[in-house]
Amino acid sequence: MSDARPITILIAALGGEGGGVLADWIIDAAEHADLPAQATSIPGVAQRTGATTYYLEIFPLHRAVLGGREPVMSLTPNPGNVDIMVASELVEAGRAMQNGYVSPGRTTLIASTHRIYATAEKMRMGDGRFDSSKVLEAAHELAKQAFLFDMRAVALAHGTVINAVLFGAMAGSGALPVARAACEEAIRRAGKGAEASLRGFDAGFRLASGALKEDAPDAPPVAGKPDARVAAEFPADVQEVLSLGVTRLIDYQDEHYAGLYLERLKRVLAIDGTPAHRLTAETGRHLALWMSYEDVIRVADLKTRPERFERVRKEVRAKPDEPVVVIDYLKPGAEEFSSILPPALGAKFLAWAERTGRLRSLNIGLHINTSSVLGYLTMRSLAWLKPWRPRSYRYALEQSLIERWLDEVCAAAKREPQLALEIAECVRLIKGYGETHRRGVANFLAILDALVVNPATDDPREQARTVARARDAALADPDGDALAADLGRPVSLSKPVIWLSKSP
Amino acid sequence: MERSFTHEIESLKLGEGGTFHGEGILAVTKALLQSGVSYVGGYQGAPVSHLLDVMVQAREYMDELGVHVEACTNEASAAAMLGASIAYPMRGAVTWKSIVGTNVASDALSYLSTAGVIGGALIVVGEDYGEGASVALERTHAFALKSSMWMLDPRPNLPTIVHMVEKGFELSESSNSPVMMELRIRACHVRGRFATSPNRAPTVSTRNQLAAPAAFLYDRLSHPPATFRQEKLKVGVRKPAALRFIAEHRLNETFSGDEHSVGIIVQGGLYNNLTRALQILGLSDAFGACRLPILALNVVYPLVPEEISAFCMGKKAVLVVEEGQPEFIEQDIATLLRRAAEQPGLRELAQTKLHGKDLLAMTGEYTAEVIVRALSRLIAQHASHIDTAGGDGWLQSTGAAREQAAALLGSPLPPRPPGFCTGCPERPVFSALKLAARDVGLPHISGDIGCHAFATFEPFSMGNSILGYGMSLASSAGVSPVMARRPLAIMGDGGFWHNGLLSGVASNLLNKGDAVLVVMKNGYASATGTQELISTPSHSARDATHGKSAVHADRTIENTLRGLGVKWLRTVDNYRVADVTQTLREAITTKEPGLKVIIAEGECQLERQRRLRPQTAQQLDAGERTVRTRYGVDEDTCTGDHSCIRLSGCPTLTIKDNPDPLRRDPVATVIDGCVGCGLCGENAHAAVLCPSFYRAEVIQNPSRWDRFMHRVRGAVTGGVAP
Repeated sequence: MSDARPITILIAALGGEGGGVLADWIIDAAEHADLPAQATSIPGVAQRTGATTYYLEIFPLHRAVLGGREPVMSLTPNPGNVDIMVASELVEAGRAMQNGYVSPGRTTLIASTHRIYATAEKMRMGDGRFDSSKVLEAAHELAKQAFLFDMRAVALAHGTVINAVLFGAMAGSGALPVARAACEEAIRRAGKGAEASLRGFDAGFRLASGALKEDAPDAPPVAGKPDARVAAEFPADVQEVLSLGVTRLIDYQDEHYAGLYLERLKRVLAIDGTPAHRLTAETGRHLALWMSYEDVIRVADLKTRPERFERVRKEVRAKPDEPVVVIDYLKPGAEEFSSILPPALGAKFLAWAERTGRLRSLNIGLHINTSSVLGYLTMRSLAWLKPWRPRSYRYALEQSLIERWLDEVCAAAKREPQLALEIAECVRLIKGYGETHRRGVANFLAILDALVVNPATDDPREQARTVARARDAALADPDGDALAADLGRPVSLSKPVIWLSKSP
Repeated sequence: MERSFTHEIESLKLGEGGTFHGEGILAVTKALLQSGVSYVGGYQGAPVSHLLDVMVQAREYMDELGVHVEACTNEASAAAMLGASIAYPMRGAVTWKSIVGTNVASDALSYLSTAGVIGGALIVVGEDYGEGASVALERTHAFALKSSMWMLDPRPNLPTIVHMVEKGFELSESSNSPVMMELRIRACHVRGRFATSPNRAPTVSTRNQLAAPAAFLYDRLSHPPATFRQEKLKVGVRKPAALRFIAEHRLNETFSGDEHSVGIIVQGGLYNNLTRALQILGLSDAFGACRLPILALNVVYPLVPEEISAFCMGKKAVLVVEEGQPEFIEQDIATLLRRAAEQPGLRELAQTKLHGKDLLAMTGEYTAEVIVRALSRLIAQHASHIDTAGGDGWLQSTGAAREQAAALLGSPLPPRPPGFCTGCPERPVFSALKLAARDVGLPHISGDIGCHAFATFEPFSMGNSILGYGMSLASSAGVSPVMARRPLAIMGDGGFWHNGLLSGVASNLLNKGDAVLVVMKNGYASATGTQELISTPSHSARDATHGKSAVHADRTIENTLRGLGVKWLRTVDNYRVADVTQTLREAITTKEPGLKVIIAEGECQLERQRRLRPQTAQQLDAGERTVRTRYGVDEDTCTGDHSCIRLSGCPTLTIKDNPDPLRRDPVATVIDGCVGCGLCGENAHAAVLCPSFYRAEVIQNPSRWDRFMHRVRGAVTGGVAP
């Protein structure tokens, strides 16, 4: 019996990445090199955006020396028996490892390090992303040799599809039993887009063979000089985040408003017993975000800035000479309208809207061409309401809610720093607009009422744990079911918060 | 159609001495032509769609040969087509996805196999089992048994598959019975080669027609009293003839080995995986030179008793490697051995121990790993002198590698099920359903087969049952009367024409039902590769729309429903989410009695893009003004709550690191690949989500006016800034 065995290749790709074409190239290259080769796949419905796999075997002896004998090739990949594992995306590389297809003694792993997030990761309310570093660590640990770089970026830079870069990396890894020239010939024979594919192939080959180094990712921006007031009145370890807050609030409103921000934080700093003043830093981070709440004035302001139009151009990959029309989807309603009214009037209007069931029906769907002269001026005129903001209903509402939260944070800080941190962190729940925002506020208040104001325990550490757990529960599902289960009572959502309209 | 087979059609024309390179299922198509088929029919579905798709596209060449090709509306009509071979000496072949297709076809198959055929009749089924399967996991084998159709399961290499197609027709003719050939998913998609022979123009064909019908012969009708005689013929004449043919032509293959104590009987289709397993155990080389004897069954029904006895004779034990359940072959062999052992001269067979499912997993795909485990146990029990340490070590190391990977990865990876394509017109309907449910409550939803079944996955997670292709409305008939909230059935236009119209709509109307039916009118049988339907818009209508939806141009579904008596019938444009939401609300709550049908219009985006791409490229090359639409999210107004994603699930609506240094949770973003369908903007409006969505219209090859306006606007928008 002969000891020769086929070289086995498993390709994990996503629909639309040209995995089938890649398999065709490899088979064609092998056959022209007179090596017996076989490919098969599991596309099925998986071609509709899901994960797909291609499995290939190439027999490393030329037909000429086989004398008519045909190797029997397997149709299914087997754990422990894969020579080259190719993954077009990082979590798919992880999946290959999870299924046992990457073994230390045998497997060359070629994978792109970019992420295409699965729906399960994208749809979570907080951050549901799988930790990429775990996959990278596992790859280095489990593979005989690993070639990992962002092949999507390389493909994009060369105006081609990722399959060409993967093919190049396979050839460049030295694990493929077919020479580089034969691979390139196969790409040429396939025709269609061959030139772009060859560029991608070349880049992949050079990156894998070490002839070329991957571009370093952009360095994180260096923090600027801290704000003078922050530097004078706050310890060094919170200066960076607080300065960001100050800058944001000056941009949002004015110097005076930024001053209010720092005054509020001084209260917290005074009783901050956490290491590195974490409580001040975290409260400062959340407070800056909350104080710059997104009302119509803010949204109109952000949407009419020159840098915004530049960002849009970049995002949609418009060429320098191509005009871009930007149409904004807005649907203001009773809440947005009331938010810019004076407090008493705003509260009355909203109460009326709710009573008469107009909370949603008053919304008007607008498509505003913000890049046109008229559209721009319409939006800009809303942004010009900025000086009016401190006299608005929404302002009064937000500030009193903020004060209530800060009171609770400070009160808790005197008992147990961890509890204060957990309460501070609850602001994370307040996000979005309209109903999403209402739900966030309702969840936040429910936790405050049930676990902070009326805790079931006297032990502040235990209380801190219950707050953290409830916060996670609030982030677990959008309908508040998990939070309701955690609190043991339903979270009422329907009412907008108008109970605070008594004092601005 | 999703795929173009221009290159493959040329391979179909290869003659003597040519070499065919390509997919297993296309090799079958070529083999049909080499066998001189007169007619071919079928219903699409992975993994056999390509067999028929290539023939549909090769219509001209088929006409040249005189071969009739029929894209049937379901498997029952495909199976019934084989009726031509009952009375006429013409070969025919049909194909579909099994088990589901065989279920639908089974009525006609019963009658066909009862009457018997004089022209060869071959049924090629894609055995959709194991990894990648998309249907209920059952075996086609059961149908072969109950209907006395012979079943081929060739070794998965192109020369064997082609040879078995050719022999299959001869087997069918020599035994007057239809023959089935099962091909697993990976065998259909396997790429290999074989030496071709010339195609045979059929003797009876569209070019060489029959002058007159066959003479009346009651015995050819599956109707009593003929059926009583036909049942006797099945067992008394046809099966013995089949057994003779199988044995004489050596359709099954024996691979001898030097080890005589144990042997393996394997379904042909699993031979390659078995060989790999033996290789891992050190008992075979890469060319299949094996130490253990193997009987590879290219014909799994009927089994030739003499072949089984001869193979088992003198062996301590035999392992049957048979995928799926129940273990029909193992039971068949057990019976055969038991009966044989009662004959003088064969009594020794009583000593041969029969193994199968006791050593192998009862369910699931038989990968080499599964087989190695079973072989290792077989050898330990009956041939302990053989060293299996290599295989055992391999099993341990693969287990250890998986455990190590799980430990390193920490938590299970996020699943990545298939989903709606970017810009799919069916996604907005489920967005609307989610919104309607907020007001009127989520109804009981009967799902169906088709792309819309992707709504069972996140972010929609909708559907209470799936009962088969076109069965959704019928499956709510029992729910409707006992449900306070009116149930909803969802069906694609593919399912509607396959079965839904009769099983669902007609039945509901007859019984004066009160349900809601949503028909996804995307214009094609999209999930199987966008094959055409009776209601597919005409080519001229499609050309006229450029990249826009063309399905409104065909009203066959609406006219049919009205003709049948449906009173409450609404047509909606899927992308207008607010309108769809309102229509759904109304359908669920209206007091009007009777069936409520919503036709949800939106052409399959794959087809639209296939049309649009070359047109756009041409326009750009010609320097014509072309507007490219894309959607986007403003990262500084997005607060990262992801409610837009929970309402869409579009592959190009995703997340990225929050650029705001004060925020932690990722923000939403639209990435390259957005086709500008507009759903995210519509959702933002319909659900009053947030003001972050924008539509960008990039004007390529701008006119002078565009450039002028661009400058004017730039002066304003860049100048009055804060």
